[in-house]
Amino acid sequence: MTTTELNAAASGRALTARGRGGRRSASERGRLSGWLFLLPALVFYGLFVLWPLFATVQYSFFDWDGYTTATPVGLGNYVRVLTDPQLISSVGHSFFLMIFFTIIPVVLGLVIAALIQEIRLKGLATTARTLLFLPQIIPGAAAAIAWVWMLSSTGAVNQLLSGIGLGGLTRAWLGDFTWALPAVGLIGLWLNLGFCTILLMAGIGKIDLAIYEAAKLDGAGFFQTFRSVTLPGLRQEIGVCVTMTMIAALASFDVVYMSTRGGPGTSTMVPGVQIFQLAFTESRVGLASALAIVLTVLIVVVIVPLQRLFQEK
Amino acid sequence: MRTSRITRLGLGGVLAGVLALTACAPTGSGGGTGSSGAGDGDAPEVSTELGDEPVELVLYDGAGLKTIDDALIAAFQDEFPNVTITTRFDPDNVQAQNAPRVLSSEDPPDLARINSLGSTAHNGLLTNLDPWAEAYGWTDLPSGQLAMYTVDEDGVRGTGSQFSLASGFVTTGLYVNTDLMAQLGIDAPPTTVAEWEEQLATAKAAGVTGIMAGNATGGGLTTLQFLLNGHVGADAINQWVYNAPDATIATPEGDEAVATLDEWIRAGYFNDDANGTDAAGALARFASGDGLFFASGNWDASGIAGQMDDVTFAAPPALTEGQFLAMSDPVSNFGIPAKAKAENKNAAAAFLNFLLSDEARQILVDNGFAPSGEGAAPTTEPGSLNEAVQASFVALVEADGQVQFIQNATPGITQTQNQEIQNLFGGKSSPTDVLPAIQKAYEEELGR
Repeated sequence: MTTTELNAAASGRALTARGRGGRRSASERGRLSGWLFLLPALVFYGLFVLWPLFATVQYSFFDWDGYTTATPVGLGNYVRVLTDPQLISSVGHSFFLMIFFTIIPVVLGLVIAALIQEIRLKGLATTARTLLFLPQIIPGAAAAIAWVWMLSSTGAVNQLLSGIGLGGLTRAWLGDFTWALPAVGLIGLWLNLGFCTILLMAGIGKIDLAIYEAAKLDGAGFFQTFRSVTLPGLRQEIGVCVTMTMIAALASFDVVYMSTRGGPGTSTMVPGVQIFQLAFTESRVGLASALAIVLTVLIVVVIVPLQRLFQEK
Repeated sequence: MRTSRITRLGLGGVLAGVLALTACAPTGSGGGTGSSGAGDGDAPEVSTELGDEPVELVLYDGAGLKTIDDALIAAFQDEFPNVTITTRFDPDNVQAQNAPRVLSSEDPPDLARINSLGSTAHNGLLTNLDPWAEAYGWTDLPSGQLAMYTVDEDGVRGTGSQFSLASGFVTTGLYVNTDLMAQLGIDAPPTTVAEWEEQLATAKAAGVTGIMAGNATGGGLTTLQFLLNGHVGADAINQWVYNAPDATIATPEGDEAVATLDEWIRAGYFNDDANGTDAAGALARFASGDGLFFASGNWDASGIAGQMDDVTFAAPPALTEGQFLAMSDPVSNFGIPAKAKAENKNAAAAFLNFLLSDEARQILVDNGFAPSGEGAAPTTEPGSLNEAVQASFVALVEADGQVQFIQNATPGITQTQNQEIQNLFGGKSSPTDVLPAIQKAYEEELGR
């Protein structure tokens, strides 16, 4: 048993003892005031999360333009969502975006966090940390606009390529059927890398320095320390990174909407943008709601097993 | 088959849930079809006299038109001092999406820009303006303009009762870089498609971008419709946009237009990064001298005039000699919501009538748009780009060649149109795929 577990067990016992010892009325009063404290949050949660969720489920069984009388269509909208190749391909794009939103930021974030940990110069480490975290404080929509300029045919990315003699590769990245989706992914990578790095660095800071010292005394190098100490110690942080960035990929909207609106053609269409366009441009609230519900279920199906995987044994 | 208890319970739960949910339909306030008419309930009589009781109106429009609306309101209030008009604006793209909800709300404005006139009138959200049209003589407006204001009982535009009146019109054509034109040895902007094609070939041979297009936002559709107008004809396109029964855009004539566009794309007559350039980017590049032509509308005139001197505006080249067609539709197609306060409707109608006055027409022209109604052409600065735009519009109205934008056929059609035109530019589809795909989305959205 680790120290933490011991502590938890001890405090658990203490709580039970106190509970048993206390008078019944006092505990009831305690429970009531607990709920009272919870009430404001519950009201807002119910009003702005649960009710819209319920309404979305309700709308998804109707053909409704948002303002005239709705006609019930049963599961028709769901059948459409699950059979329309364009809607299915938008979900596929989201999974592709995970490479850029999740896999690369987490792997790269681990490496960078470990490297920064190694840096002895405090100023340099702080600068690196600040620079990496900077994208995180910029709204995704604003970042997307900046990237649209950089990825345009005369933008910084192409200037850089021409500068190093790769002028043959230049193109309007976001207007290219093959490259638009990876280019959108790149924006997501830039946004998520800082988040993962900072979170993982915090995690490393939590690992007992004595373990690092012991590893050093045993003659372990950078990679061995990384594999045997850092990586196992970061299990939970990696879990959070993967969860958050995967949701960001599956529910992506701002970056895609501001950079390509799903184009060219439908090559960067993702469910988030599709839902918005169905509901607010095409006034097909029912179909949009059904897609939103399917997306929600999909996210839960993907995320819940991951949570299990990353839970501390 | 053996189903576990849990599965059965689960299925039962889902079914019960579905039933419970479908039992209570989302409430919609529009409800009925057709129009609720002007004379509902205690509505005062239709009159062109406003008296001198104070009246307060609310006008709802897209934020991009604030300057024009403010000028129009100021002039109107000078004429009718007892009427005060306050404004409510949403960003232009939001306004288009919000309008139906704003109109069906319990506190609607008295005057509102109507984007999808057919469905809005059909859903009973607008006041039938026929009594005022009679009283003010709007029935004598040019038929091409009236068609943009009328909706019949089935929600088909172009005939039936009047539900709106335009503050002014937008018009389309080609901006031409006259400096490049001179360098290429071209005497005048093209008047026919054949001439246009020759000039594009000349530009290509000299390494000059023929048409600057921002196709990331569907800019290629403007050139496509210039070609479509000639091949298909104004009437067929207007019927399609007005959602006439059985209207179709997927015809062999339409395919010819797409095929021509496809040839031009393959020949390199457009900027090769069209799919990666948006409308603002294309405008900026044309203004900086990249591109011989820029197919767009009067809304870009002030922006272009502010950035370049050697530029003119020409009507869209005609397929056959003598043809004169261009996309042109209302700046703000103002209507009076059905639920607006009955006692305010006479004043609201007076504002609509004011839009046809010389004063209002001059305000529109001063702001770079084309005037509503008919009459003496408002004045423009001689030699200005605006003068060229106005001249083109006057000729267009004389030829009765105003064609509706295909983007306005249904609220959601641009989505498919942008995708299809991007596919065509990217070489991802064949020219014969484009119009059938658009037609399919059109029929689906209209529930046909």
